[in-house]
Amino acid sequence: MDELIITKNKLKDVINKIKLDYTIFAPTNVDNIILYRQINDFSEISLDFCNSKVPPKSILFKQTETMFKFKPGVKAKIESIDIPNSKNVIFGIRPCDAKSLSILDNVFKDDYIDPYFVTKRENTVLIGLSCTQPDVNCFCTSLDGNPAGADDVDVLLTDIGDKYFIEINSKKGSELVKTMKDIFSNATTDDKKKKQEVEKKSKDNITRNMKTENIASKLDKIFEHDFWKNISLKCLGCGICTFQCPTCHCFDMQDETTLKDGARVRVWDTCMNPEYTIHASGHNPRPARMNRTRNRVYHKFNYYPKNYNVIACVGCGRCVNDCPVNIDIIDVINQAREVKT
Amino acid sequence: MVDQKKLRDEAKKIITREDVKYLVGWEKGTYGFQMTPLFVTSSDDVERLVFNPLCIHNLAVFPMLEEKLPLRKGAHEDTRKIGVVVKGCDSRAIVQIIQEKGLEKENLILIGVPCNGVIDPKKINKRFFHQTKTDDIEEDDKNFIIKTDGKTHKIPKDELIMDKCKTCEFPNPVIYDIFVGEKIKTSSKPDYKEINSFEKKKLDEKWSYWESQFEKCIRCYACRDVCPLCYCKECMVDQLNPQWVRRSVNVSENAAWNIMRAFHLAGRCIGCGECERVCPAGIPLTKLNKKLEKDVLELFEYKPGIKAEDKPLLSIFKPDDPEEFIL
Repeated sequence: MDELIITKNKLKDVINKIKLDYTIFAPTNVDNIILYRQINDFSEISLDFCNSKVPPKSILFKQTETMFKFKPGVKAKIESIDIPNSKNVIFGIRPCDAKSLSILDNVFKDDYIDPYFVTKRENTVLIGLSCTQPDVNCFCTSLDGNPAGADDVDVLLTDIGDKYFIEINSKKGSELVKTMKDIFSNATTDDKKKKQEVEKKSKDNITRNMKTENIASKLDKIFEHDFWKNISLKCLGCGICTFQCPTCHCFDMQDETTLKDGARVRVWDTCMNPEYTIHASGHNPRPARMNRTRNRVYHKFNYYPKNYNVIACVGCGRCVNDCPVNIDIIDVINQAREVKT
Repeated sequence: MVDQKKLRDEAKKIITREDVKYLVGWEKGTYGFQMTPLFVTSSDDVERLVFNPLCIHNLAVFPMLEEKLPLRKGAHEDTRKIGVVVKGCDSRAIVQIIQEKGLEKENLILIGVPCNGVIDPKKINKRFFHQTKTDDIEEDDKNFIIKTDGKTHKIPKDELIMDKCKTCEFPNPVIYDIFVGEKIKTSSKPDYKEINSFEKKKLDEKWSYWESQFEKCIRCYACRDVCPLCYCKECMVDQLNPQWVRRSVNVSENAAWNIMRAFHLAGRCIGCGECERVCPAGIPLTKLNKKLEKDVLELFEYKPGIKAEDKPLLSIFKPDDPEEFIL
C-alpha cells in the first residue's frame, strides 16, 4: 500500500483536479444535517461531522431510480433509459459506509448482476475519510470494522493534525492519485506513527460494544421466543431504521403513469411496512410488528451471514441514534444472546 | 418533579387489577439521555418506571397501535383496559381521539403527570457530546440539574427545553383517572409570533423554503407513525388504487405527502411536536401544524383535545361559521 501525505490547505487543489474528470459527491451541511450531495466547489464540503444522516449507499442505489419509460395503449412504446456511466468520486465516505458497499456487492452481484448498482459501483472511486470523533452509538469495531481502516475504500485520508495521511488501497485509487503527483509528498515514518495514534485514539473512543460471536446460530434457536414480542411492543413501524441503514437494500417496483405516459421506477422499500409482505389475497405472512422487527434482525444477523458469510451490519449507529422509541440494535443483539432456550 | 415512588405505587395498583392488560410509561433508555416507552405487564416491571423531563414520547400513540390480528379458533379478543401515563399534551391527544370515537374512555386508565416542559434531545446532545450514561436528572423552578460521570451540571431550563414547551398552555393533563404530583399554574397563551412573521413573506419565498425542506424527506413516515392522531386504518399514502401519492421520492411527491398530512391534522393536531422530533431529515413540521392550528383558532375559535364530551371541529357546523375562504 502506497502512503503519502498532503497538507490540509492543498485539499482544495485535489478537489479542483478531480472535478475535471469526475462527478464528486461529498458530505455537505444542509440545515445542520449532513447529507452526501453532488458538489461543484470545495467550499460546499463539510468535513466536521461524525456521519451523514442518509448513508452514501443512496448514490449508488438511489431511493428512486427510473428504469424505463413507456406510452400506454395498444401500440405501447417502451423507451429505454441509459444507465449513466459518468465517472464518480465519493469523497469523505466513512470506513463503515464503505464496508457497507462491499456487503451490498454480495446481493447486487449475485445470480443476477444488477446493472444499475454495478455500473455505478464500477465507475465510482471511494475516497474515504477516517473517523476521528466516533459518535456515542458507533460500534464498528464490534463488527471487525476499523474507524480508520482502508480495506473498503480506494484511497483513505486520515486527519493527522495539519495534514492528511493518505493510504492507497486499489488500482482505481493509484490511478486517481497518479494524476496529482505534484500535490502529494511521501509519508515519513513519523507521519505513519501519527496515523496509528489517531487510529488507536479513535478505536478507544468507541464505547459501545455488540457481542456478535456465533450470533447466527444463537438466533436459529430463539425464533419463536417471546423475546421478539417484548422488544417490538414499542416499535412504531416507521422506516427510519431501514432507510438510514447502509446495508438495507430492499426495493419495490412501481409503474407510475399519467394519461399520456408512464415510467417504471424502483424505489426503496422497508420491511417495517406491512405492505412489504402483504399478498394479493390480503393475507400477510408477517402480520404483526413483532414479525417485522424480528425479520429485520434476522436478515442482518442470521440470513445474510448464512448466505454470504458476513453480518449485514457495519455498526454505523444510525438506527440507534434515530429510532424514535430507542429500539437499540446493540442492546437487542446483546440481550438475544442471553435468552434462555 | 413527580415522586417516582408514588408513580410506581399507582402503577402497581393498576397493573395488579384483573381488567388491565398493560400500562405504558417510560423507563431509562439504552444510552445517554434516552428514555424509552416501557410496557408494564406485571408488578415486576413497575420498578423500572420513571418520569422526568427527558420523557418526551407521547405515549397516547400506543393504544392506537394495538394490533387486532385474526384470532385462532376458540380464542377470545383481549378486551382488558390499557393504562397510559400522560403529560398535558399527551392527554389532549387522548381527548381528541375519544372525541373522534377512535378510543373509548372506559377502555383506558390514565395516570396524569404534571410537566414543566421536556428536554429537546437535539439541544442536550449538542451540549453533552458522546454521553454514554447519565446518573440522574432533576429540576427546580428555573434549572435542570443533570448528574453525569460524577459531575453536577446546573443548566437553565430555557436552554434545553423543547421550543413548543416554552408556550405550553396545558402543563397539566386535561383528562386522567389518577393524578400524581402537584398541579402547575400557568398563564401561557398561544404564541404565533413565528407563524405571523413567516406569513408575511412573499409566496415564492415561502414556497422555496418548503421546497428545500421537503426535498430532504426520505418518506420513512415516522411523522405519521409516531403521531397519535394519524390512526387511519389505511393511510392515503399506502393506497395503491387509486394511488394518491406516488412512491417516487422527489420534491413534488414529498410536498404532496407532507402538506396532505398537515391538512388531515387540521383542527385535530394538539401540538405535541412528536413528528418534528422524530423526523430524521429535520423538517420543521410543527411550523406547518401550527399554521393550521392558528387558522382554526382564528376562524372557528376552536382548540382541539380539551374536553372529551365536545365534538371534533370538522363534525360541527354553526350558521355563522366564516366561509370567505371557500372558493
